[in-house]
Amino acid sequence: MTSDLGSGGSAPDFGLVAAGGRKGHDPAPDTAEAGNVPPVNPSVTALRRQFPDGVLRNRVCAGDQDVVHIDSGRVAEILRWLHETPDQHYDHLADVTAVDHGGGRPIEVVYQLWSIPQRSALRVKCELPLDALEIESVTGIWQGANWLEREVYDLFGVHFRGHPDLRRILMPENYAEGHPLRKDFPLRGRFSRAEQTRRALTQDPEDYYMPGEIGERTPQVVASGADDGDEAKASGAGAGGEGEADVL
Amino acid sequence: MSSSTVEYAVRRNPEMGPHGKPVASPTEPFDAPEPELGSQTMLVNVGPQHPATHGVLRLVVELDGETVVSVVPRLGYLHSSFEKLGEYRTWNQIVTLTDRMDYLAPLIYNCAYVMAVEKLMGIEVTERCKVARVICMEMDRIFSHLLWLGTWSIDVGAFTPFLYAFQQREKVYTLHEALTGARITTSSTRIGGMMADLPEGWTKGVREFADNLPATLDEIDGLLTCNAIHVGRTQGIGAISAEEAVNHGLTGANLRASGVPYDVRKDRPYYDYGSYDFEVPIGCHGDCYDRYLVRMEEMRQSVRILHQALDRLPDGPMDVEDPRISLPSKTDCMSDMESMIHHFKLITEGIPAPAEDCWFSVEGSKGELGMYVVGDGGPKPVRWRIRPPSFVNLSAIPKLSEGHLMADLIMINASLDIVLGEIDR
Amino acid sequence: MGVANPGLPGAGTPAFLTTRLDFVVNWARRNSLWPMPFGTACCAIEMMASAASNFDLARFGMERMSFSPRQADVLICAGRVPYKLAPVLRRIWDQMMQPKWCISMGACASSGGVFDVYSMVQGIDTIVPVDVYIPGCPPRPEGLIYGLMMVQEKIRGESLADHAALRAEDPLGAGRPRAGDEEVADLTGPFGNSTDQNRVSGLVETGAIGRPEDRLP
Repeated sequence: MTSDLGSGGSAPDFGLVAAGGRKGHDPAPDTAEAGNVPPVNPSVTALRRQFPDGVLRNRVCAGDQDVVHIDSGRVAEILRWLHETPDQHYDHLADVTAVDHGGGRPIEVVYQLWSIPQRSALRVKCELPLDALEIESVTGIWQGANWLEREVYDLFGVHFRGHPDLRRILMPENYAEGHPLRKDFPLRGRFSRAEQTRRALTQDPEDYYMPGEIGERTPQVVASGADDGDEAKASGAGAGGEGEADVL
Repeated sequence: MSSSTVEYAVRRNPEMGPHGKPVASPTEPFDAPEPELGSQTMLVNVGPQHPATHGVLRLVVELDGETVVSVVPRLGYLHSSFEKLGEYRTWNQIVTLTDRMDYLAPLIYNCAYVMAVEKLMGIEVTERCKVARVICMEMDRIFSHLLWLGTWSIDVGAFTPFLYAFQQREKVYTLHEALTGARITTSSTRIGGMMADLPEGWTKGVREFADNLPATLDEIDGLLTCNAIHVGRTQGIGAISAEEAVNHGLTGANLRASGVPYDVRKDRPYYDYGSYDFEVPIGCHGDCYDRYLVRMEEMRQSVRILHQALDRLPDGPMDVEDPRISLPSKTDCMSDMESMIHHFKLITEGIPAPAEDCWFSVEGSKGELGMYVVGDGGPKPVRWRIRPPSFVNLSAIPKLSEGHLMADLIMINASLDIVLGEIDR
Repeated sequence: MGVANPGLPGAGTPAFLTTRLDFVVNWARRNSLWPMPFGTACCAIEMMASAASNFDLARFGMERMSFSPRQADVLICAGRVPYKLAPVLRRIWDQMMQPKWCISMGACASSGGVFDVYSMVQGIDTIVPVDVYIPGCPPRPEGLIYGLMMVQEKIRGESLADHAALRAEDPLGAGRPRAGDEEVADLTGPFGNSTDQNRVSGLVETGAIGRPEDRLP
């Protein structure tokens, strides 16, 4: 694709002067060279010294962003060290997300850290093979990771060990089509539109209603034959505007 | 039927007096044991369709009397799968999606996205473009805060500030429309520049808006800041300490109200924010009232930045002059075969990005807005991830509202300044 | 009524009394439409702008936004509706009293808009009957007001004589899709090149349409 544009294009001057002397559009050699680029962030060196076998490799992306690949089995230990060591003090977990590169390649879980006092950023990545999508939760270190990890679980199917409340967060809890952000998941979903509409309407808005389900991993599955025309039910929580109350 | 007098030991209304009307039915005997109160809690469902949840948020609240025991937020009622859709669109096509995510501050999202992609591709935009984007972002910060102010005042029980705020918002709508042709869904940025140069007279309109806004803010200030009802409903409500706020990942005004001076514009300056003269307001109690004060002050600081940016807006090209990124002019396309092919290839094939990833965050109106883009050498992203500030801010609501009253929960929710389009994405 | 009389209009033909009554009833109905604002996304912001000072919906008898469906006359569905929200929308529609009307505001509510994806309802007319569609992304407040005036026009043409045809509801239909499977398939079919796009980034080919064997029978 890249070369197509260069050779087939008409404008004569294609020499892109990238910022900071970095070749902006050359993906292939960048990867090979990356190991030789010295890290910008001193935390990377400290991390390598502290965990010589936990840190697999590191590279510099997009000019000045440090990325550290670590052993997925030791994620909680390494991130806790980064959070609690006074010299590092990565107290702000900006983001937890995942990347599926498709083609059966492992899913990357990405932690984006920021240290408010040190003003430094670090990106930590772990690779998880598709048949063992399990990693330790970091909610014990940053409570802000709670919903972020739930979202990764919902959209990628990565299980976080030790998470206090690992349920789907965006999709319905009885969603049967899979994990949408995987590359093998089709854009329009797996079921036909009619099937999706029917399934959506057989859900009852009052389901998933009790805080008691917290801590349970098993979602309540709606009985498919639920009688939604029931008048008693129909005066339920759908509108919510009238402050529906239900005594436990 | 003869009536016999039955002596009931009943509680009487003390105002009734000994010769008051006889009590028709006994309520409860004196010597009965007190019923055990507090043993039962009540579940109240708020939303997903409720005027006070600012969208389709659903909160399942467990109440002990009127005191909140726990809150379970339910999300996903507006999940529009932006991130999945982004993987099927070229880099420039995604701009259209970004403003539908946070429709309260669309230009900030437009800018944040292209800034991340430009960083990934190693593109340095022109000086004029930088300043124009700063103007756009600060204008939309005010735009978003004004909507927050309007809905916040409705939640506190005042309708007038809502109308005042919307009058000012209409002016920003007009400016949006002059700049992009749309009132909300602006889609105004492109990789390497803007959709078009600033229209004639637009900066004059922005300056007029920036001149007039402080008067409106003063007016609303007078209505709310020292208002006894407002103070009583917000001071000491939903307080969170600095350490906990950081640990919960709060950002933006919610974090700064707790006293942590973390502002991406100051800590990781982009677009020469370091050279603008503005201050970051900090609260000290971390409660709803401080969040209100911080946002009010942020609007005034944004006005300052707007004036400085308008003063320094340089002449010159808006887009980078790189044929691999920028489209040729329409006139050239119509008259010149080469340009037309060039235009066609750029549109149909898109701009390739290196096989790298890039994280870029800006200070959005709701907090730290991060964009994480992963390229693989092709014209479409492998992954486009938004770090949604209000999603993370909202995750602290169970912590913030514990032990407060049900009515305070509405204020706490309003003080977080959420937008559901971005929480659910 | 109902008596065959060659000198008078036959059954079902509007007589003087019913047309006058229709006029009065329709006049009252169309000038006191209370909207139920079912706002979800961008369109809701424009709906708020319509209610605020510059556009002022109150001029059209819509002073009171009725946040409770039981007192509302016209459902304004403003914004995108994911499948997770679909039962809520249907429930609110079922809770509204007759006579009721429905406006689908914006491209997403009317057809799914740009969101031809796994989580979005492709047009709310698969779930509830829609009277007026307002195009735009989002429509301007003038557009919303025009749509509401079209509802008013529609009411003007209604007659009490057609009550059963216009306003009767099947109680068994509550909480169910409005459209049958085939109609849903027709309504939600991909348009343009929305699903012809796939990833051409050198990764594995993933068809945009689900694999047939994954579909439920």
